[in-house]
Amino acid sequence: MDRRLVLAPLISLGVLSLVPLLLGFNNYYLLLASLILLYTTMVSAWNIIGGFAGQVDLAAGAYHGIGIFVTGLLFIFYRVTPLVGIFLGGGVAALLALAIGYPTFRFGLREVWYALSSLALVVILYKLFLIWENVGGTIERYLPKVGFSWFYLTFPGNYLYYYFMSALLLVATIAINIRVRYSKLGYYLLAIRENEEAAEMLGIDVRRYKLYALMIYSFIVGLTGGIFVLMLGYVHPVLFDSWISIQTAILGIVGGLGSIAGGPIIAVVLLAVAEYLRVKFGGYIPGLHQILFAIILMVIVLFKPGGIGEWLDTLWRRLTVGRRVEEVA
Amino acid sequence: MIIQNIVFGILLGSIYALAAIGLSLIFGVVNLTNFAHGDFIMLAMYVAYLLGVSLKLDPILTPIISFPLFFLLGMAVYLVIFHKIIRAPPLSQIAVTVGLLVLLRNFALAVWHAEPKSIPRTILGYSYHLGPLLIPADRLTGMLISIATFIALHLFLTKTRIGIAMRALADDLDSAALMGVNVRNLNMLTCALGIGIVALAGGILMTFQPVNPMTGLIYGLLTWSVVAMAGLGGVSGVLLSGIIFGIADAFTAAFWDPRAREITIYILFILLLWFRPKGLFGRR
Repeated sequence: MDRRLVLAPLISLGVLSLVPLLLGFNNYYLLLASLILLYTTMVSAWNIIGGFAGQVDLAAGAYHGIGIFVTGLLFIFYRVTPLVGIFLGGGVAALLALAIGYPTFRFGLREVWYALSSLALVVILYKLFLIWENVGGTIERYLPKVGFSWFYLTFPGNYLYYYFMSALLLVATIAINIRVRYSKLGYYLLAIRENEEAAEMLGIDVRRYKLYALMIYSFIVGLTGGIFVLMLGYVHPVLFDSWISIQTAILGIVGGLGSIAGGPIIAVVLLAVAEYLRVKFGGYIPGLHQILFAIILMVIVLFKPGGIGEWLDTLWRRLTVGRRVEEVA
Repeated sequence: MIIQNIVFGILLGSIYALAAIGLSLIFGVVNLTNFAHGDFIMLAMYVAYLLGVSLKLDPILTPIISFPLFFLLGMAVYLVIFHKIIRAPPLSQIAVTVGLLVLLRNFALAVWHAEPKSIPRTILGYSYHLGPLLIPADRLTGMLISIATFIALHLFLTKTRIGIAMRALADDLDSAALMGVNVRNLNMLTCALGIGIVALAGGILMTFQPVNPMTGLIYGLLTWSVVAMAGLGGVSGVLLSGIIFGIADAFTAAFWDPRAREITIYILFILLLWFRPKGLFGRR
């Protein structure tokens, strides 16, 4: 387990570091790559609540938006450095998750009702910030122009820095995934996903562990919001986006519930394809990439419910078993 | 002012109930979690718009054409998609119908683009004055159609053999199947009926509201809220909870901010799920 914890993040960081080289340090491609990594981070974080704990959470857009607003507004109003703001954003997102999640799990909301109420949270926050003119409102609020500054994490026109911030966050999230998966928490969560009543009967504090999973997930999604707003340069309530929730859940499910590698791999591939489709056909068929996501999701769930992760596992087992057989021979 | 808004709420709420009854039928009888219901409503609104523009038909009359279309659409969706996930775990149902939601939304986006569309005119664009009260004719007609539909549906479910079989299916699938109910055909009929009624609601909503591709999400959550409050069992519960949400909607629009309507409705929805998960009017 410890070997994995060190190895997997190092390998992914190594691979991710090569990407800017391949892209020729082209700023536009780096921006796209950073966005893809941020969305992939969300998918990887979603795996903790959706994959391990089996709760179809559709509130990613809400936590992402909270991260955006906390980081952005602290910067705009009080000149708080995003170095702190990003983590405060994650913290507020996790607190919100606690405040909503505690009664939700206390009153035993599950499955469809959990999914619906988490999706409703995104719309509630969107409308709330739209009306609340002091912090949101209908006009964009721009981040202050401070020029190139490490202290304010502002690098005008150079997305390489944001790329590495996103890459680091993704790698850390994968490491957290591995850490959680092989800990007591991970086994508890898997037990809860398979059969909540049985898990409770065996003495697992179901509510507490689901809440832990939810808070880890929302904290990470809040962090992605903080990095996102630095790249974007402004805050607006429309950034509470229900599509982010749906995209995250779709990619998580297609990647395979509980599969640590499946989600991120499929997310990077599909998001890259989506970006290509958007550039190529976005002009006349605006939602083509979303249609692609929807079709892939339906096909995977109907015909291969284990997702890509299952297929990866089989492949991995074949490779390793093959090697072991060779060693014996 | 208060009475005026209660009246508005009742008018609006009975239309919400009409939008939600299809979902309630499919959820209760077929036992299927349909996240895409709101997007069927959106599609119905677009179809009403299309018929209104191309055939110069008044939106209130469009269900004459769109109801059979949506009835067939419901059958087709059942045979192609729903049929495969009826026995699947909730997560698969949620995933597949979320896929359907995204598909419908982007279909609308590709065909009609993101700008809100509304019909050029309706013959119901006037209001009745009842003393100090103002009663818009479009919503009044909507309420009358809605109530007529509910009465017809209630009679259908309690008096006809097919309707009774449907309720039996909702109560206990296995026993109903053992008693000789043809589960597959009945499920198909329920989906067809449930989505057919959506066409009715779409035509009525189109008389006073514009539509855009995101409308689906709003109505999806709204109709699920109505179903959550109604609980399972009986059509009258759906009507009542639709009206409660309609009144909440009208009061928020009048006394707080018209843009805050969703906030009140969804917070009510979440509180309801916390404290009354069985709904206010449900048997189980």
